[in-house]
Amino acid sequence: MWNDLDSPLRALGFRLRALFRRSAEETELNEELRFHFEKQAEKYRLSGMGEEEARRRARLLFGGHEQVKEDCREARGTSFVEDARQDMRYAVRQLRANPTFAVVIVLTLALSIGANSAIFSVINGVLIKPLPYRQPDKLVRIFLSSAEYPKFPLNPFDFRDFRARNKSFDGMAAYMRGDMQLSGAGEPVRLHGFAITSGYFRVLGLRPQLGREFDERAETQGNNFQVILSDRVWRSRFAAAPDILGRKITLNAQPFTVVGVMPAGTTHPGNRHEPLAYGEDVDVWWPFAFLGDPADRGSHYLEGIGRLKDGVTVAQAHAELNAMMTQLGREHGGDIGWQVLAVPLDSEIVGGSRPLLLVLLGAVGMVLLIACANAANLMLTRAAVRQREIAVRVALGAPRSRVVRQLLTESLLIAFMGGALGLAMALVGVKALVLLLPANFPRAHDIHVSAPVFLFTLSISVGTGILFGLAPALQASRTDPKEGLHKGGRATTGNERQSRLRNALVVSEVSLACVLLIGAGLMLRSLLNLMHLDPGFQTEHVLTAMLSLAPERYSTPESLVRFYQELPRGIRSLPGVESVGLGSDIPWTGYDDNIGGFTIEGKQPPPHQEFHARYHIATSDYFRAMGIPLQRGRFFTDADKGEAPWVLIINHAMAERYWPGEDAVGKRIAFSDTPKETDWIRIVGVVGDVKDQPNSHGAEPAFWWAASEISFHFSRLLVPELLLAVRADANPEFMVNAIRNQVGRLDPLLAVADVRMMDQIVTASVATPRFQFVLVGLFGGLAIVLAAIGTYGVIAYSVSQRTSEFGLRMALGARRFDVLWLVLVQAGKLILTGTVIGVALALVLARGLKSLIYEVSPADPLTFTAIGFAVIAIAIVACYIPARKATEADPMVALRAE
Amino acid sequence: MTAERIDLPQGTLDLLILRTLSLEPQHGWAISERVQQVSSDVLRIQQGSLYPALHRLERRGWIKAKWGTSENNRRAKYYELTRVGRKQLEAETESWRKLAAAVAQVLESV
Repeated sequence: MWNDLDSPLRALGFRLRALFRRSAEETELNEELRFHFEKQAEKYRLSGMGEEEARRRARLLFGGHEQVKEDCREARGTSFVEDARQDMRYAVRQLRANPTFAVVIVLTLALSIGANSAIFSVINGVLIKPLPYRQPDKLVRIFLSSAEYPKFPLNPFDFRDFRARNKSFDGMAAYMRGDMQLSGAGEPVRLHGFAITSGYFRVLGLRPQLGREFDERAETQGNNFQVILSDRVWRSRFAAAPDILGRKITLNAQPFTVVGVMPAGTTHPGNRHEPLAYGEDVDVWWPFAFLGDPADRGSHYLEGIGRLKDGVTVAQAHAELNAMMTQLGREHGGDIGWQVLAVPLDSEIVGGSRPLLLVLLGAVGMVLLIACANAANLMLTRAAVRQREIAVRVALGAPRSRVVRQLLTESLLIAFMGGALGLAMALVGVKALVLLLPANFPRAHDIHVSAPVFLFTLSISVGTGILFGLAPALQASRTDPKEGLHKGGRATTGNERQSRLRNALVVSEVSLACVLLIGAGLMLRSLLNLMHLDPGFQTEHVLTAMLSLAPERYSTPESLVRFYQELPRGIRSLPGVESVGLGSDIPWTGYDDNIGGFTIEGKQPPPHQEFHARYHIATSDYFRAMGIPLQRGRFFTDADKGEAPWVLIINHAMAERYWPGEDAVGKRIAFSDTPKETDWIRIVGVVGDVKDQPNSHGAEPAFWWAASEISFHFSRLLVPELLLAVRADANPEFMVNAIRNQVGRLDPLLAVADVRMMDQIVTASVATPRFQFVLVGLFGGLAIVLAAIGTYGVIAYSVSQRTSEFGLRMALGARRFDVLWLVLVQAGKLILTGTVIGVALALVLARGLKSLIYEVSPADPLTFTAIGFAVIAIAIVACYIPARKATEADPMVALRAE
Repeated sequence: MTAERIDLPQGTLDLLILRTLSLEPQHGWAISERVQQVSSDVLRIQQGSLYPALHRLERRGWIKAKWGTSENNRRAKYYELTRVGRKQLEAETESWRKLAAAVAQVLESV
């Protein structure tokens, strides 16, 4: 049995030796046969023949010396490689003989292979490469879900129950965004931070490089002043001090003990609004403490994540958690009506970008197909020119398979050159692509030209070479030697099959280009829709910045109210400033899921549901500074503070939902199930809607508390983070320093972070639609240029074949226009067919774009018509040049040639 | 040239070569001479088929080649049987015997 395993290996070794020791083998073979010949001659000599006669007889017996050698080579199995070597030499010679041809195809292929490799690099980094955690496929994100809120964060005490009772998970953790201001280590700086439960890093499969992560004790009041630092902060702010553990640092003006340092490159798995919230930019992790009444299940703000036990599926875990939630609903009224949603982490992070990436891959794939069609067409033309040469080879006994192989070698060589150049282009292209990516695109760090990309490029190069080489090679190998030789190398139009193949190539190129351009057109319309959308707020001349107030310095409601009133007053005194507001957030920057439930005076919610809306906080001039219009009632005033009557401003969406057809101003709501008279809050104003993102379906119901009132009513809602909005009569960018001075005068320890102009935020909000339009548009442009070149090539060839026919026609009295018309009609038929097929194909494929376009029908008649006509026009123009040439056919030349 | 020669049936050449080499390592010319002698000049191997067959058998690993010195001190390529080749020879001899016996039986039965 050992030989069964051994012999293929030996055979391979033998072949390799044969290949590399080619000249040595050849000498040995010669020597061996020579020896035989000599022995034979010697035998004849010994039998009494003369020297001459003996050699002659031996030679006679020996037969064709070369033939024997060839057979031996064949028997040794080196001939395939030998042939390939020969074919390669031949192919290189052919390309050298016709460099223009080679350059045109190689460049076209390089462009499209490069584009494919670049897009594949993105897909590999984002969709294929595993997430940077241990066994990332076992990580599951946990949400709540209800009829109204399909994906909602967890309540901390619900989470604690899940963690304690479940049997499906190896570990479960939760986290919540919570930035911190670091002071006492250089200038005050706001750090991206997360509050995390114990076991958070263990669930992810990460370990601190120094120290440890939080234990469950850290989740209790008084023990939660601990912190884990990022490698970046440890190095930049603490000089990578080896004795950092146990040191107390000042965060939000309170002392925190450093218990750990995470390694560089620690990536945060993201929250609901931003798939990879800050990614590697998280700098501090602090313990999430379970404070308050464990029976309170109404507020939801925790992000859950868990690691499945071996052998447990997502569906099983999902079912277990759901059963648990039903049980919790029996224990706590606040838990009724919720279900659990378990989503694999991978699809949570990158699921949103998958459709876009697949569309892009499809688009570059089409570009590559067009490039293949062009290359095939050029190969056909060349094969036609070389018809005579091929006929000679066939006549001399070359088998057809040999001719096909030879031509395929040539196309593979071209494809490889295109692939190599394409890879070089991809190296540059990927860098450009990453720069172009929208800021919130997941896993942008992971996009590189890596080994899988090389492999991908290699395989599409081979595929391309075969794709565009095979049909022309098969065509050429069918050359009838008699005919080929007879025609004396003058190619003919007679080859019906060839011209049918050419026509098919034109039709498919035009239709693919049509599909791509229609896709780009739909995306352009969608982008324009988004850009011309009324955002619901002022976009120009508004500066925003983030302020993080340290709770200890603003521990009393009075101190907060002073800040709320004095800072805007100070900034408004600057020249050019029109209005200044502070609020809990600004539009289009992402929201926390802060949904408040409430009671409406005189209304009952449907069973197991409650009235709720998003809550925000605003100072009196917030709406003026943001340019959000007042629809009814009034804005807040400086008088809405402290113990004054409690008031609320709501948005249009909330007024429509809860008071349809009524005037919401003057209505009252309360944040208590059984409100006393003093609990009621009166609605004093209704403002216009602002959607979460420009492409959100509609605005969520929302209300605003008056900043100067809220701290008197809810101590828990003290706002440590505030967004500042400054509206000026000109671009307020140059005021940043003056604003910093004003802030510093009030509170020297307060950092002014994230300074952005509102119009920058607006631009960033359409970054993804712009990105997809730019890329698909680029590919569409490339496609139509390639298709035009291809059409031009086919028509030019056909014209050159028919020169004598045109000359004859003109000699017989046809006018130039008639000839022009003849050519254009022939081309027009192909182009029209291509466009019709393209439009039909686009109608089917565009349905896949539905999630990527905004307020445009995937069958938008305007786009389809406009692009259809544009494609026809471009293709006709491409044909016009060779058509003109047809009219220049000289009747005399034509006649003489016949 | 005195005796009548017959064509070798397909596949027999390999068997003859293996058999010849099972006695001692030989070069190509000696193999063909030996077969011719032993078969009383009935079987003759043409160089045109001998050498391709030798190279084929070498590729299969049934024989291996070594350069050596011939009787009159010339460099010659000697082939010898490998272990696999020996097994192969046994198997092929066995099946050849069966075939020959069966053919003979059929021929004599009428």
